[in-house]
Amino acid sequence: MPLSILIWLPAAAALLGALAPRRGSYPLTGWFAFAGSVGALGITIGEIAGFDPGHSGLTHVTDQLWIAGLGIHYKLGLDGLNLFLVALTAVVSALAIGAANRRRWERPRLFFLYLGLAESAVLGALMAQDLILFVAFFDLMLIPFYFLTGQWGEENRVAATTKLVIYTLVGSLLMLAAAIATGVLVSTNTAHPLSFALSDLQNAGGIGAGAGLSAGSQEWIFLLFAAAFLVKMPAFPLHGWMPDGYRAMPLEALAIFSGVLSKVGAYGFLRIVLPLFPQASVHFQTLMLVIALASILYGSVMAFTQTNTRLILGYSSVAQLGFITLGIFALQPQGAQGAVLQMVNHGLVTLALFLIVGLLAARAAGSVDLRDMGGLALRAPVLSAIFLIVALATLAMPGSSNFVGEFLILLGVFRSKLAIAIVAFTGVVLASVYMLRTLIRAMHNRLGTRAESREIALADALALVPSTLVILGLSFYPQLVLHRSERSTAAAIAAARATAQPSQTARAPLAGASAPQPARTSTLGAGATHSGATR
Amino acid sequence: MSVALAAARLHGPHIDWGGLSPILALLGGAVVVLLVGLAPRREVRRLVASGLALVAFAAALGCTIWQWDASKSIVSGALRVDDLALAVNLILVSAGAATVLLSWRARASGEAGHGEFYALVLTSTAGMSVLVAAQNTVSLFLGIELLSIPLYVLCATELHRSPSLESGLKYLVIGSVGSATLLYGLAMIYGATGSTDFDAIASAIASGGLASDPLLLTGIALVVVGLAFKSSVAPFHQWTPDVYEGAPTPITTFMAVATKAAALGIFLRFFDVALVSAQVSWAPALAALATISIVVGNVGALGQSSLKRLLAYSAVAQAGYLLAGVVVSTRAGARATVFYLAVYLLMNLAAFAVVVARERETGLGDDIAAVEGLGASRPWLAWPMTIAMLSLAGIPATAGFVGKLFLIQASADGGYTWLGVVIVVGSMVSLAYYLRVVAAMWMRPGPSLGATEAASPYPAIAGGSPEADPDAIGTSTPAAPPAGDGGPGAGAREGFQPEVVGLALAAGAATVFFGIVPSPLVDLARAAGNSLLGLF
Amino acid sequence: MNIGWYLAVSALVFCIGAAGVLTRRNPVVILLCLELMLNAGNLALIGFARMWGNSQGQVFAMIVMVVAACEVTIGLGLIVAIYRRRLPIDVDELRELQG
Repeated sequence: MPLSILIWLPAAAALLGALAPRRGSYPLTGWFAFAGSVGALGITIGEIAGFDPGHSGLTHVTDQLWIAGLGIHYKLGLDGLNLFLVALTAVVSALAIGAANRRRWERPRLFFLYLGLAESAVLGALMAQDLILFVAFFDLMLIPFYFLTGQWGEENRVAATTKLVIYTLVGSLLMLAAAIATGVLVSTNTAHPLSFALSDLQNAGGIGAGAGLSAGSQEWIFLLFAAAFLVKMPAFPLHGWMPDGYRAMPLEALAIFSGVLSKVGAYGFLRIVLPLFPQASVHFQTLMLVIALASILYGSVMAFTQTNTRLILGYSSVAQLGFITLGIFALQPQGAQGAVLQMVNHGLVTLALFLIVGLLAARAAGSVDLRDMGGLALRAPVLSAIFLIVALATLAMPGSSNFVGEFLILLGVFRSKLAIAIVAFTGVVLASVYMLRTLIRAMHNRLGTRAESREIALADALALVPSTLVILGLSFYPQLVLHRSERSTAAAIAAARATAQPSQTARAPLAGASAPQPARTSTLGAGATHSGATR
Repeated sequence: MSVALAAARLHGPHIDWGGLSPILALLGGAVVVLLVGLAPRREVRRLVASGLALVAFAAALGCTIWQWDASKSIVSGALRVDDLALAVNLILVSAGAATVLLSWRARASGEAGHGEFYALVLTSTAGMSVLVAAQNTVSLFLGIELLSIPLYVLCATELHRSPSLESGLKYLVIGSVGSATLLYGLAMIYGATGSTDFDAIASAIASGGLASDPLLLTGIALVVVGLAFKSSVAPFHQWTPDVYEGAPTPITTFMAVATKAAALGIFLRFFDVALVSAQVSWAPALAALATISIVVGNVGALGQSSLKRLLAYSAVAQAGYLLAGVVVSTRAGARATVFYLAVYLLMNLAAFAVVVARERETGLGDDIAAVEGLGASRPWLAWPMTIAMLSLAGIPATAGFVGKLFLIQASADGGYTWLGVVIVVGSMVSLAYYLRVVAAMWMRPGPSLGATEAASPYPAIAGGSPEADPDAIGTSTPAAPPAGDGGPGAGAREGFQPEVVGLALAAGAATVFFGIVPSPLVDLARAAGNSLLGLF
Repeated sequence: MNIGWYLAVSALVFCIGAAGVLTRRNPVVILLCLELMLNAGNLALIGFARMWGNSQGQVFAMIVMVVAACEVTIGLGLIVAIYRRRLPIDVDELRELQG
C-alpha cells in the first residue's frame, strides 16, 4: 500500500468531515476525523504484522521528483526505525481524536480539520526520506497546533501560541538553512547533481557515509539541526516555550503534541543527524550527553516542585526526552534501541496521563492543580487502578516496557560514558519521586474542598482503556519493537560508531557500515526477555 | 516608445509585430479605453471601460503566451523578447488585470473618470513591459518613466482625499529623484563604455578591462540607487510606507506587485547582461543593500498597526530577498528571483484583495482592527489572508516556502551562503508580524461582537469529559457564528463584492497549489533564467 | 576642450538640483530642481556623445527632454489639484501621512 495513502488519509478524512453535513446542530466532522485516524491505525497495524525483522533498508518506497530544479524528492519509506513511531502516532492520534469527540467544541469543523492535518504532517515527517521534505513536514506539523492553541486554548492562549510558534519555527528555519547548505555542499564537494534525498546525501559519491561534508561544515550544520530538534523536544536550555504552551493547549491536542511531536525531534537525530553528520555527532557527543543529563535533572526537579498537573507532565517530558537523547548519543546499539523503545513508551504513557488529567480536572471543578485534587480514588477504583498502572509505567517499574527502554539506554551510556550513566541513574529515582507524589496527592490524601470522587464513565474509558492496554501489552512483549527496529537503529548509528570506534577500546568488533552483526541480536533478545520475566 | 519606433523605421528594418504585440495590445487598449471614457452614460463608462481594459490585458496575456520561447531582439536592438521578458510580462499582465478587478467598485476610478483610470493602468503596464524587455539604456529609461508617470497620477486619483493627493506628489518627487539619479548613472556608464546597448556595454567592459574603472563604478552605483528607489530597496525605501498607505488600495496593490516585478526584471537583465563582467564590483554592494533591506523591512514592519504600512515594510523586506537572486549572477539566481516574483504576485494579491474588501466593508480603513475576528465572520476572506501571511513568512505547503528555498539555494550555490542565512533570519523576525495578523483574524473577537460576548468569547473548557461542567456545554456550543456580515459594529458599507473575494480566493488557492505542485512555475522560471545567455 | 570640464559642470548642476530637492520647501521649486538633475544628465550624455563621436547619447538626451516635460506637467497638475483642495503648498506641512 503506498505510504502516501497512510500519510494523507487522516487529513483527507478530516477535510471530508469538514464538508460533511451536520447532524442536528453539531457537525459530524469529529467522527470523520476519528475514522480517518483509525484507518491510518489499521494500515500501520497491517504494516507491523507484515514487517520482516530481517529486512534491512526501506520498504514501500515512494520516490518522485518534487521540485525538479532543486533535486528535492517526494520520497517516503518505512523501516524499523520509524515503523513504531508511525504506529505510535496512529494510536495516539486515534485515541486523542476519539477522546476529543466527547466534548463539544466551538467551530468543530476547523478543530478536527487541524487535528487531522497535524496527524498527517507528523506521519509525513516520520516517513520522509528527503531532507527538505522532512523539514517541510516538520514545520507544517506545527501550524495546526498554532491554531489549536490560539483558538481553543485556555487563558493567555494567544501569547502562549505565539511564543510556541516563534520558538519552534526559529529552530526549524535554522534547520532549513542547514539542510540547504548540506545539499549544496555535498553536491559541490562530490560533483554530483544537487539532490536532497537522504540516501543520496549519505552515500554521496559512493565514498561512504558522511564523506561529502568536511568536518568543519558538519559541525555548524550539526548545531543548527540540534537546535531545531532540541527546541521541539524540548530539552533543558531551549524549553522556554514549554510551560506557557502546556498550560494553554487543549488537552487532546496536548496529548498529541507531547506524545508524538516531541518524538519527531529525537527521531530526527537518528534519521538525519547521526547518519549524515557522523563526525560532528562524535565531536559533540559529550555536549549532547550533558544537555540530555541537564534535561533529566532539571525536568525531574521541576516536575517535583510543580502543582499544575499539565506542567508536571511537561517537565516529566523534558526529563524523559533527556533519557531518549542520552540513549541516542551513547552511540551504542543498545542505547539507540532503548531510545526508540522509550519514544514509543513515553508517547503512550503521555497520552494516557493527559487523558487522566482531563478526567481528574473534571472531578476537581475544572482545575488541573494538584492542590484542588486529592482523595479522588475514594469512589473511583477503576480510574485509580488505571492511573496507578500508567504511573508505574512512567517511572519505569521493573517489568514495564519503560524499564526495558531505560535499561537499554543506561546500558548504552555505561558502555560509552560511565560517569554520565551514574548521574543519569538518579534521574530514574527522581522519576519515581515525582510520579508517586502526583499519584498520591491527586488520588489519595484528603478529598479536595471542591473535588468530588466519581468513577470513570464508560465513554471516557473507551479512550483510556485501550491506551492502557497497549502499555500493558508492550510491557509483556517489548521484543515486538526491539526485534523489528534492531537492524535499522544499528544502521542509523553505524556511521557515527565507525567514526567513534578508533578512539574507544574496541569492545565489540567493528560493525560494518550497513550490516550489524547477528550476535548482538541474541544478546538483546535475551536481555529483554529476562527483564520481561522479572515481572 | 514612438521615438524608438520612428528610429526603427528610419533605418528601414523589418518590424516584428509579433514581438511587439504584448506592448501594442496594452497601448492600443489604453487608447480605446480612453476613448470609451468619453461615452455619455456613467454606467456605460464604468462597465465598458473596465471590460475593455480586461480584454486588453487578456490580449496582452495571449500575445505573451503566443511569443513564448521566442529569443529575438526587436526595434533595432532596443528591446529583447525572450523568456525572461515574457515570464515577467505574464506577472505584470496578471497584476494589471487583478488591479482592474479590484478597482471595479473603487472610489478612485470613479473620481478620476473610468476611461482615464484604466487607460493609465494599461499605459503603466506597457511601460513595465518595455522596461523588462529593455536591451538598451535608452529603452530602460523610457520604460521606467512610462511606468512611473501614470503611477504618479494613479496614486492621486482619489481627488477628494488629501492623503491620496499627498502620496501622488510625494511619489512624484521621490520617483523623479530616483529617475534622475538613474539617468545620471546611465550617462556615466555610456561615458565609460561608449554605448547604450547592453551587449556592447558588456563587451566593452570585458575587453577594455573596465571592471574597476571609476567612471563605470560611479555609474553603476548611481544606477543601483535609482533602481533601488523604484523597487523600494532600503535605504531608499522611505517613500514606500507613506505612498502605499496614501494611495488608493487597488493602486497600492498594483505598485506592490507589478512595479516590483518590473524593477527586479530590469535588475536581472541590466546587471546579468550588461554588467555581468563587473560582477565582482557590484555584487558585494547589492548584497549589502539586500541585507539592509531585509533588516529594515522586517524590523520596520514589527510595530505597524496599518495593514498597508505593514505590507509596505514587508515589501521592502521581500525586495531584499529578491535581490539575493540578482547578487549571485547565476542562472539559478535568475530562476529563483523570477520564481519568487510570481509567488510574490500571488500572495500579495491575496493579502491586498482582503484589505480592499475589508476597507469597503468595515469603514475601519486598513487598520489591523479591520480583520479582527475575520475567521469567524468571513472565513472566505480570512483563509486567503491567512495563506498569504503564512506564505510571506515562508511556511511549508505554501509557494512562499518553495520560493525561499530557491533563493537560499541560489545564494548558497553562488558563494553567498551568508546572504541565505540573512534571508532565514529575516524570515524569523517576519514571523512576529505576519502571525500577528493571523492571530487577529482567528484568535481575537471581531469588532462586531457585542460587549457581553467579548467578555467571555471562549468558555474555558478544562475537563476531559462532558460531565466536567454541564453548563459549559450549553454555553460553549456556538449559538451561531457571531452575527455574520451585517453585524452592528461592522457598519457594512458594501457587503457584496464577489470579484474581490473571488480574486482573494483564487490567489490564495494558487499560493497553496504552487506550494504543493511547484513544477509549472519552476519551468517558467527556469526558462526565464536560461534566457540570460551570458550566465551559467 | 577636455571632457572633464563638461562633466564637472554637469556634476555641479546635478548636485545643485539634488540639494534643492532636499532643502527647498516649495513644490514648484522642487520640480525646478528635478529638472536641473535631469538636465545635468543630459549635459553629461551630450558631452560623452561628443567624446565618443556617436549619436546614441544625443538620441538619449532628446528622449529625456520629452520625458522631463511629461514629469513636470504631471507635477504641476498635482500641485494645482492640491491647491484646489486648499492644502498648504509647503511639503513640510503635508503631514497627514506620518512619514
